[in-house]
Amino acid sequence: MEHTKKRYWRGLEELRNDEDFVKNAYQEFPSAPTNDLENIVDGTGTHRRDFLKVLGFGMAAVSLAACREAPVRKAIPYLNKPEHTFPSISDYYASTYVDGGDYASVLVETREGRPIKIEGNPQSGVTYGGTTARVQASVLSLYDIDKLKGPKRGDADIDWATADREIVNQLGSIASRGGAIRIVTSTILSPSTKAVVADFIRRYPTTTHVMYDANSAFGMVQANQTSFGRAVIPSYNFSRANTIVGINADFLGTWLNPLEFARPYAETRKLGKTKRDMSRHYQFEPAFTTTGANADYRGPYKPSQEGLVVAALYNKVAAKLGGSPISATAVDVPHLDKAATDLAASRGRALVVCGSNDPNVQVVVNALNGLLGSYGTTIDLNTPLNYRQGNDVEMNTFINDAKAGRIQGVLFYNANPVYDHPRGAELAEVLPRIALSVSFADRPDETASLVKYITPAPHYLESWNDAEPKAGFFSLTQPAITYIYKTRQMQSSLLTWAGLPNDFQDYVRNYWRANLYPRATGYSSFDDFWVKSLHDGVFEPGRAAAAVGGSGAAFAGNLATAATAIAQRYRAGTGMELALYEKVSVGTGAQANNPWLQEMPDPVTKACWDNYAAISQKTANDLGVEQNQLVSVQVEGRPAIELPVLIQPGQTDGTVAVAIGYGRQKAGRSANGVGQNAYPLASFVNGCLSFAAANVKIEKAGGRREIAQTQTHDTVMGRLAVLQEARLADYKKNPAAGAYIPKVVTSEGPVVADELSLWHGYGKPNHSWGMIIDLNSCIGCNACVIGCQSENNIAVVGRQEVINRREMHWLRIDRYYSSDADADDLKGLEVASANPEVTFQPMLCQHCSNAPCETVCPVLATTHSSEGLNQMTYNRCVGTRYCANNCPYKVRRFNWFKYFDESEFDYHFNNDLGKMVINPDVTVRSRGVIEKCSFCVQRIQEGKLTAKKERRRPLPDEIQTACAQACPTNAIIFGDMNNPESTISQVLAYEANERAFHVLKEINTRPQISYLRKIRNKDEELKKELTQDSQA
Amino acid sequence: MAHANGNGKFLVGIFDDDDVVLKAVVKVKESGVRIHEVYTPFPIHGLDVVLGHPRTRLGIAAFLFGLTGTLCALLLTAYMERFDWPMIVGGKDPYSFPVYIPIIFELTVLLCALGMVGTFIISNGLGPTVKPLMFDLRTTDNKFAMAIDLSKNKLAEGDIENILRQSGAAEVNVKQF
Amino acid sequence: MHISSPVRTPLVTGGKTYADVTEDVSRQVEGRPTREWTIAFTISVIVLLYGTACLFYTWWEGLGVWGLNKTVGWAWDITNFVWWVGIGHAGTLISAILLLFRQKWRTAVNRAAEAMTIFAVICAASFILMHMGRPWLAYWALPLPNTFGSLWVNFKSPLVWDVFAISTYFTVSLVFWYMGLVPDLATIRDRARSRVSRYIYGALSLGWNGSAKTWARYEYMSLILAGLSTPLVLSVHTIVSMDFATSVIPGWHTTIFPPYFVAGAIFSGFAMVQNLMLIIRVVFRLEDYITVEHIESMNKVITLTGSIVGVAYLTEFFIAWYSGVEFESYAFINRAFGPYWWAYWAMMTCNVISPQLFWVRSIRRSVVWTFVLSVVVNIGMWFERFVIIVTSLHRDYLPSSWAMFSPTLFDISDYIFSFGLFFTLFLLFSKFLPVVNMAEVKAIIKSSSERLPKSVSGVAKGERVTNPTFNKDVE
Repeated sequence: MEHTKKRYWRGLEELRNDEDFVKNAYQEFPSAPTNDLENIVDGTGTHRRDFLKVLGFGMAAVSLAACREAPVRKAIPYLNKPEHTFPSISDYYASTYVDGGDYASVLVETREGRPIKIEGNPQSGVTYGGTTARVQASVLSLYDIDKLKGPKRGDADIDWATADREIVNQLGSIASRGGAIRIVTSTILSPSTKAVVADFIRRYPTTTHVMYDANSAFGMVQANQTSFGRAVIPSYNFSRANTIVGINADFLGTWLNPLEFARPYAETRKLGKTKRDMSRHYQFEPAFTTTGANADYRGPYKPSQEGLVVAALYNKVAAKLGGSPISATAVDVPHLDKAATDLAASRGRALVVCGSNDPNVQVVVNALNGLLGSYGTTIDLNTPLNYRQGNDVEMNTFINDAKAGRIQGVLFYNANPVYDHPRGAELAEVLPRIALSVSFADRPDETASLVKYITPAPHYLESWNDAEPKAGFFSLTQPAITYIYKTRQMQSSLLTWAGLPNDFQDYVRNYWRANLYPRATGYSSFDDFWVKSLHDGVFEPGRAAAAVGGSGAAFAGNLATAATAIAQRYRAGTGMELALYEKVSVGTGAQANNPWLQEMPDPVTKACWDNYAAISQKTANDLGVEQNQLVSVQVEGRPAIELPVLIQPGQTDGTVAVAIGYGRQKAGRSANGVGQNAYPLASFVNGCLSFAAANVKIEKAGGRREIAQTQTHDTVMGRLAVLQEARLADYKKNPAAGAYIPKVVTSEGPVVADELSLWHGYGKPNHSWGMIIDLNSCIGCNACVIGCQSENNIAVVGRQEVINRREMHWLRIDRYYSSDADADDLKGLEVASANPEVTFQPMLCQHCSNAPCETVCPVLATTHSSEGLNQMTYNRCVGTRYCANNCPYKVRRFNWFKYFDESEFDYHFNNDLGKMVINPDVTVRSRGVIEKCSFCVQRIQEGKLTAKKERRRPLPDEIQTACAQACPTNAIIFGDMNNPESTISQVLAYEANERAFHVLKEINTRPQISYLRKIRNKDEELKKELTQDSQA
Repeated sequence: MAHANGNGKFLVGIFDDDDVVLKAVVKVKESGVRIHEVYTPFPIHGLDVVLGHPRTRLGIAAFLFGLTGTLCALLLTAYMERFDWPMIVGGKDPYSFPVYIPIIFELTVLLCALGMVGTFIISNGLGPTVKPLMFDLRTTDNKFAMAIDLSKNKLAEGDIENILRQSGAAEVNVKQF
Repeated sequence: MHISSPVRTPLVTGGKTYADVTEDVSRQVEGRPTREWTIAFTISVIVLLYGTACLFYTWWEGLGVWGLNKTVGWAWDITNFVWWVGIGHAGTLISAILLLFRQKWRTAVNRAAEAMTIFAVICAASFILMHMGRPWLAYWALPLPNTFGSLWVNFKSPLVWDVFAISTYFTVSLVFWYMGLVPDLATIRDRARSRVSRYIYGALSLGWNGSAKTWARYEYMSLILAGLSTPLVLSVHTIVSMDFATSVIPGWHTTIFPPYFVAGAIFSGFAMVQNLMLIIRVVFRLEDYITVEHIESMNKVITLTGSIVGVAYLTEFFIAWYSGVEFESYAFINRAFGPYWWAYWAMMTCNVISPQLFWVRSIRRSVVWTFVLSVVVNIGMWFERFVIIVTSLHRDYLPSSWAMFSPTLFDISDYIFSFGLFFTLFLLFSKFLPVVNMAEVKAIIKSSSERLPKSVSGVAKGERVTNPTFNKDVE
């Protein structure tokens, strides 16, 4: 009623007629105060960096808060929502994973501004969209709470301004008095960074840049220098090789960049309707590596025979192809002659790779490859690989100079020589005496803890960078989150100290504008080019050249001298010998503080959380030691290290293999004190790093240390229902060779086991999600395991729990050794052959259509979907574990403890920063419930919803599980078996009657997962246990 | 025992031996005395027959309760697994009868037992709060009591007492409620 | 004329009268606890407290404190569960089946045996709770309307069958036992001096007054209850055995399990009854009621069931070989000669060989031998379950997952807990309730007494013996 005199104030302001109030009086919502946001976003530009800053702001704030005593558990909302980003919708950014020489072009999945998953970048011509376990795990290192929160002087925290001032002053004074400055780094793949270093050197001319690699390939570079006048590592085209011989080159696990080799190698191994032939792979090696496990023929030798093996192989081939033989003492290593025959036979389609760091050996290898006409076919000298640029000699010189006090300033970047250089101890002594020492390490590691200043560089996911892994192949690294801590990129620091503008993003842009844009075609402007490259993540003008495969190169090395050098160095000794090797999981130890990697079982030994002395059973008997017994490994003149014994079939007798990358002291909570540091056992021969040693003393040290192994039984007990194999020859005759079809005798005669059922079954009307796993192209690299762990928030349980056999991995890779025993000799079958054949079998929930686990659950916590998924309802589970007992595949995992929060499971997940890696689509499982592979149901749902929103069916292969996506060899095919266009349907269409088999077909679980039979390219009969065509 | 609650005068013959009671009951009845009830420390076979108690129908009750159990189980399983929320479990049919047999059996037994015992307790007027009608406390120990309701008998008290004594009663007491 | 009694050797010795029976049995209910009882009770309470502490730690920390792993998901927990349930069976069997068979010797022991059943089932149930990852949600195993919409239980799961079977079994046994107690409680009520116990026993005895009509219905009811309990007791262990029989794990997936488990249950149950009885008869001076006759008859049952179990073991092996299934035959070879061979042979020795000693009469009638062998049998039966569960699981289909199980302190302590619980309950029972069924014993005194009770007057024995009602019983 308009007459009313009564008036209500909206608070005192209105009564007072506040100015602010009046302004907003008629707005329902006063405009959000944007000032404080702008403080974070310096300059309101529109390009991605600011957007990322905004994106990252919330999470950065949370994590900073998390680093205080009492974390503020507050979600900070977007005050104004960034364009193109929606809560709970993933954004992907193309970027580049670089860790020293390790390289992968990747896509980073981010949620509300935090990276949660790494995928391979399919556009890359180097890594083909594959990933390795280390790449998958790298996202966890981003949220490592042991990292430095800001720059440090000694132990004191300082701010960047102070750090810059002091460092610049000291650099200046050192330079002015002509004192030597060294920048010590591992291999740098980034051309821009090299340019930055150059700028820095221009400013401080007394500086030199020293590169070294913990696992060096310096010898190869030298050899190619002498052989071809090219100080490079060529690129290898495994896909063109019919016969592949690897000599101590773990090219599928750790050699150079396995990711680049895996895909082409697998191509030569894959079989199918159109491809009935495969390459033959010989591997000669002192330790048992992943690559050796994939070989058709494997010959173990002692490190002291390495040169002789190569020489012998050369001579045998030379004898066949009419090359000049070299003088070399004969050596008795199995399959050597056969390898030579095959190599010679497949001249021009043969490839010999050698991991030796001895130039002379590599010279002979080059000669051998020359003889085989590999150059221009399987080896490409024109497209060198940049993964290993380290120079062992320069590094040694640096250490000598440092000891002699000739160094006044040193900067360490991606380098931890005190830990990973054999002479680290010497360096540690003198480091404190150097006037100015700076480290860019993200944590006070073994080296950084000894330097004057630590100016921490951010994780690659927080950084701008570029990389040139091989000539003509470029890629960009862009940040997926703003700096979590007060860190600054090494490049920016160098630029700052060089007195140059320190925005490295602009620097990279400019570098690309100047050096790469000219090589690009079809762009209207540099900005187009830049945006495209940033979007794709890669720019590869070198593809064309690489496709050609290089040109033939005449071997111009001096074989004779090489031969004599070899004859001098390699004398088959009788004493115990040592072979150091790199593990697929922690590698050189740079990422050691990553619990995912620490708990990743080694593909061959299945051991994690430790390194150990791997010896053969025979050697163990000679030494009178057994598994888990502590022995001291003593290289003369070096400190002895104590390691538990691991009995390794296939390990060369009289040789002990020890992994590098362990025994970190200052890496952080997960890595400290895990294993022993083996680097000090390495040595330098003619200036080249050597991972071998002769006359090693091994003695019982007394006591035991149990090795955490996820698999303790090595053989498959001749169970054809589990694992099936065949010879290539037989496969060619009959693609179904080696098939084992269990039958049940009924009144109507024998019937195939899974064609009988009590029940009427049920339909899968819409989708039928299934998987094919090709045992032939699975190289056991474990990328899928970590990919799964990252996607599904799988807890890390730690060493003791693994020993208790409680690891949580939903997807595991079973490794089976062959046995020499007869199929009915059960005790004998438990013992693996001395030099066994190996099969990798990825094992995950088989999503049985008749799932035994479902029947027994009292509370319906696990049921079946009409799309063929065996579903697990965590919050309904009461934890009787009946399902796990009744699972014939033993893929169900029980949460014995509250792995995510308890302090004794201190593996990043129990702190707020670490929790940022958690995938919000997947429940974090509580204590007392069962969990297992869900076929990444969250991805399936997302894919279906996307399709639904776009009013279409999901495209074939649109939906991928984490494991299938992570696999570098496409050994895992996932898809909808109801969709005839999907790859899985098309492969099954013919494989169903050829290589495909179901594990444990005879118990009629009717899995959704089919395995493709392992085919071995061997001439002899296979180890008898797994090949007879028998029927139940 | 509705007809013997509170008021009323009873003649209670106390016996020492079960066989004696058995025979006494016959004798006393022959001599035309209406026996109210006999109380014994343990069951004496045939006593209820000679006393002329009707045969109990507990069995029928038990059967009906059992039947209820069976039906409940059938309905329960069918409703929950077939109609209310059928699910795919282990590839079996949503309603697969054989697996319900254990449930059906157990529920049958359970309801049968509980129902019958309940019936027993109620039909005998038993219950935690019931005050027992005791003619002689020793009947739960070693004595056997034959209660005769004088109000229901024509014969004189003395005669009945004699009959009791002749038929072997160790003592005869008067119980007034 | 004089007819000497054809009756079998007496079940009650020492010429007891009805009054003696009442007196002997009621004595320890009314009197102050004996020294032996007090000591025993203190010990078992201490054990119970220790066990409870460990149990709470287990629940607080999570089942990880046990030795289980991804391959062996059940070990001591379910072993103990099956073991206790098995032990329980003897009680029902004695009181039900022997009642149907008119085995009069049962009367002295059935009360204690049934009590044992109930407490054993409680212990078993405690392990069902214990082995759950989230025991506070145990009620989800019942078909209750819930917050998840109409999400019911999985009637296809043997665990749900277990829930129904065990709870039914417990309820019915409890009722059976309690109804058996009512007349005796009345006896105690009428002897009670203190008003408290008169009130309590009065309430418990439901106003029982032993009228002929009530007795008639009572006996009829007991008969039906017995008739119900007999198939029930067989069903319970059948269903427990189905936990294994319906699975796909070689060594579990065995159709012979139901009869084999039932026999094993009776076997171990009787052994346990022996142990308890031999203690009770000494502690409460009931030698006249629990005589060597009883011991011998129970030993005969033990020998029989023990032999049945033995045959079952052999049959399993035969089938494993005869079926030609490689996994199953391996499972059984692995039992006998694999890493757990010792458990297997412990089982064989204790269960198959040791009871055969009872063929010797002197051993069968020797209290000491009986006691020792009963303990041995129970150890053996524990190992049987351990062998079935652990050795089948630890090496099943995929060799990659083969693992070993070794118990931790908490596996052991949580087992000890159940002993504390059992003996505490049993001692309480033996103190506050009549351990022998007075009414039933009185009923058989004349027919089976050693000599005519002095105080019983009236008719001559000859007539009594020829009395049809008793001849019927004597068969």
